[in-house]
Amino acid sequence: METKIGIFLCNCGGAISNIDFDAAVKKLAEFPGVTCVNLISDLCLEEGKEKMTSCIREEHIEKVVVAACSPEFTEHVFAEVLEKAGLNGHLLSMANIREQCSWAHEGNVTEKAVELVKMAANRVRLLQPVEKKELPVNKEVLVVGGGFSAINAALQLSRVGLRTTLLEKETVLGGGPGSLASFYGFDSGSMISTVEGDKNIEVLTSAQMSAVEGKVGDFRVTIRKDGEEILRNYGAIVLATGYRTELVLDSGMKPGPNIVSQEQFCSMLRNPGLEREPRSIAFMFDFSDENSRFSTLATLHNALEAKEKWGSEVYVFYKSVKVDSEGVEKLYQEARECGVVFLKSEVPPRSAVENGRVKIEARDVLLGEDISLACDVLVGEELCLPVEESEDLSSLLNIRKDSRGFFQDENVHLYPVGSERKGIFFIGGCRGDLDLGRVLTDISSVVMSVHELLSSGKILAEVERVKADPQKCVACLTCIRVCPHGAIQLVRADNSKEVAGISDLACYACGICAAICPAKAIRFQGYKDEEILAQIEALGKSLNGRNVALCCQQSAYPAADLAGKLRLHYPENLRIIRVPCAGQVDVFHILKAFEKGAAAVLVMGCEDGACHHITGNTRAKERVKYCNMLLKEVKVDGRRVAMFNLSPNAPHKFVRAVNEMAKITKESGR
Amino acid sequence: MEEIRQLIAPYRKVLVAGCGTCVTVCWAGGEKEVAMLASQLRLARSAEGNEIVALEATVERQCEREMVAEIKDKVAEVDAVISLACGSGVQTMAEMFEDKPVFPGVNTTFIGMPEKEGLWVEMCGACGDCFLDRTGGVCPIVRCAKGLLNGPCGGTRKGGKCEIDPDKDCAWVLIYRRLEKQGRLDVMRKYYAPKNYRAVKRPGKVQAAKA
Repeated sequence: METKIGIFLCNCGGAISNIDFDAAVKKLAEFPGVTCVNLISDLCLEEGKEKMTSCIREEHIEKVVVAACSPEFTEHVFAEVLEKAGLNGHLLSMANIREQCSWAHEGNVTEKAVELVKMAANRVRLLQPVEKKELPVNKEVLVVGGGFSAINAALQLSRVGLRTTLLEKETVLGGGPGSLASFYGFDSGSMISTVEGDKNIEVLTSAQMSAVEGKVGDFRVTIRKDGEEILRNYGAIVLATGYRTELVLDSGMKPGPNIVSQEQFCSMLRNPGLEREPRSIAFMFDFSDENSRFSTLATLHNALEAKEKWGSEVYVFYKSVKVDSEGVEKLYQEARECGVVFLKSEVPPRSAVENGRVKIEARDVLLGEDISLACDVLVGEELCLPVEESEDLSSLLNIRKDSRGFFQDENVHLYPVGSERKGIFFIGGCRGDLDLGRVLTDISSVVMSVHELLSSGKILAEVERVKADPQKCVACLTCIRVCPHGAIQLVRADNSKEVAGISDLACYACGICAAICPAKAIRFQGYKDEEILAQIEALGKSLNGRNVALCCQQSAYPAADLAGKLRLHYPENLRIIRVPCAGQVDVFHILKAFEKGAAAVLVMGCEDGACHHITGNTRAKERVKYCNMLLKEVKVDGRRVAMFNLSPNAPHKFVRAVNEMAKITKESGR
Repeated sequence: MEEIRQLIAPYRKVLVAGCGTCVTVCWAGGEKEVAMLASQLRLARSAEGNEIVALEATVERQCEREMVAEIKDKVAEVDAVISLACGSGVQTMAEMFEDKPVFPGVNTTFIGMPEKEGLWVEMCGACGDCFLDRTGGVCPIVRCAKGLLNGPCGGTRKGGKCEIDPDKDCAWVLIYRRLEKQGRLDVMRKYYAPKNYRAVKRPGKVQAAKA
């Protein structure tokens, strides 16, 4: 028996005025398989929703098309209506007849609106339900690191009731003598004893991760300690592995007794048996590294302590003093008041060792004078760098680093402490943030996120929304290699063949895997190949001369909505198909569109470096390039397919792209 | 593409046949490539005003007669077949359907392994006289541009790259490093006489021990 499809049209209380709804209802009623077509004013208000619910029940509707405003606003509202009426929320397909039709064009647009509804109706036939299930998660957390951030994160996690393992590679906890905690006067001794006395926290020192498998809620971590391997399970992993510093010295200079790092200087200050107290000391910072917050803090602290303890002359060479970190402005004032001399220079001062002292020459740009000093000790400029093992951690956990090598990609869509993989978080120094205020914020954010994720011991998730068909999967590992969220692993299927297993918990439903699968084994409910093609095929002969835009729902789709809202008109022949990410668009979809008669295909995704799924837009660009070539091979103008990058708040850019394409199709005689 | 178009120029109905194993894994002839090629052919022919019907089918292994037999109905419908399998699959198809022309749709070039997604590197030349025991498991016959048995050649670039292609590693540097790690550098001191490339009498045939 044919599926009963119900179509609900909404005129948005009169806000959609250039569509002849009566004519549209008549035309749609003739469309095969449609049980009923209803025009309901203000469908999204209570009254409208009630009418819709009762209609679904009375007519025994099985699948629903809503033609109204953008699904960006109301898809979840109508999915709820379906659920209330006893249908799965995924059996809904929306036609955006407001932002992307009525408001985007002048004059009567009934014909386009009907086509959009037909596209949605053709898609809805193929939609399948997606069930929700509560999936169990492990409530234990692994915190990697042993310094201030790691210890405090563990303490706070324990306080919210999550058992935590603190994994430190060194033999003791606490970080170095020049660590952040010591500059802020925290007593690391008492912190360590609190951690060690906490029953909810297990401390493993001289221990490192050697392998990590699994995904959020169920990370299987192999820990190497004292030559032995321990296998443990965790629901989440928090990296607080800190940073390392490197001295930047003038050429020919080498670290020695009178050329030291901040940390070595701290040790000198705290050494009661120091042979000779330095009478004059010079510090340098902010010449080589713009992100000099840590060096600034360390310098001010150490300068003040040296003044107090030894009464030495202290000179600070700097390019600019960054005082935006917690308490630094005050330290700077104090340092000036107690006689620390600040000398501003635009270029790094030259230094050389002469007669056992360090000679420093610089040009003070405020005084406009050349300065030459001889000091007993030079505390050199320090660069803050990622720790050496971050390379290993990155490949072990399958997470990216930024251009400086710190954790977390520079992608604007990642939460500050989150990685591209669910359940893996970063705190403080390891992500390049080196002042206390930020570290404390990081800790709170991570604790909140982990608590939200794990505290109930289960997560309500959609199951098998994206799934590899075990019959078709040839275990080529392509999807595992390309998944930006590390959500795919080889698993044993029922018949004990190894196939790609997509984790319902770790998956972000971007569809990159589905597009790239060479066996077409991955089915993404809502965006299956057939569903995308059904929208193109719905237009039948009338596809001729139409331009098809495959728009990422994170960027181009809302940009198109915004264009409609601003009444930025563009050619009416554009038909937009919503995709979860440009990376979900496959060469084969584009070829099919041309085969069916499309004049042009626009693939529209996020700006470079801003894809929600990290690589989706770059993959899309590559595919479009490949498609240009394939089209040229068969003597089709390759310019008729193009990739556009834009952000969701760029409606003008959207319209420019659409017009540009319209011009090209005109030129190629379409 | 041009080659394939000319091959099928006289036909009105063809089958694009994929293979679900090796060529799927290396993105050359799986269900997706089949769909793409079929679509491209339809586009090309429709542009010429000479429409073609292109059916699509993918079997698990085109080198197995039993598996190829599964698509015999579809083959019966068409005038010609384009096989996206390796040369072995093309020949199996051709043998099974003797009355139909079966054309190769891919050029099978080498036996390799994936370096990352979408990039395969030749690793084995199937020469029939394996040399890997003497080279720390790195094959100089295919991975050295000159196929030297007694390398390196003297043209190795800085950083251990090949003089012919600076993007490629010098196989003999890899061999040296590997043997050094294993404490077996003495193996490199030996001179190896030219290899017998006739170890495999073409056509090759392998009979597994009867068990």
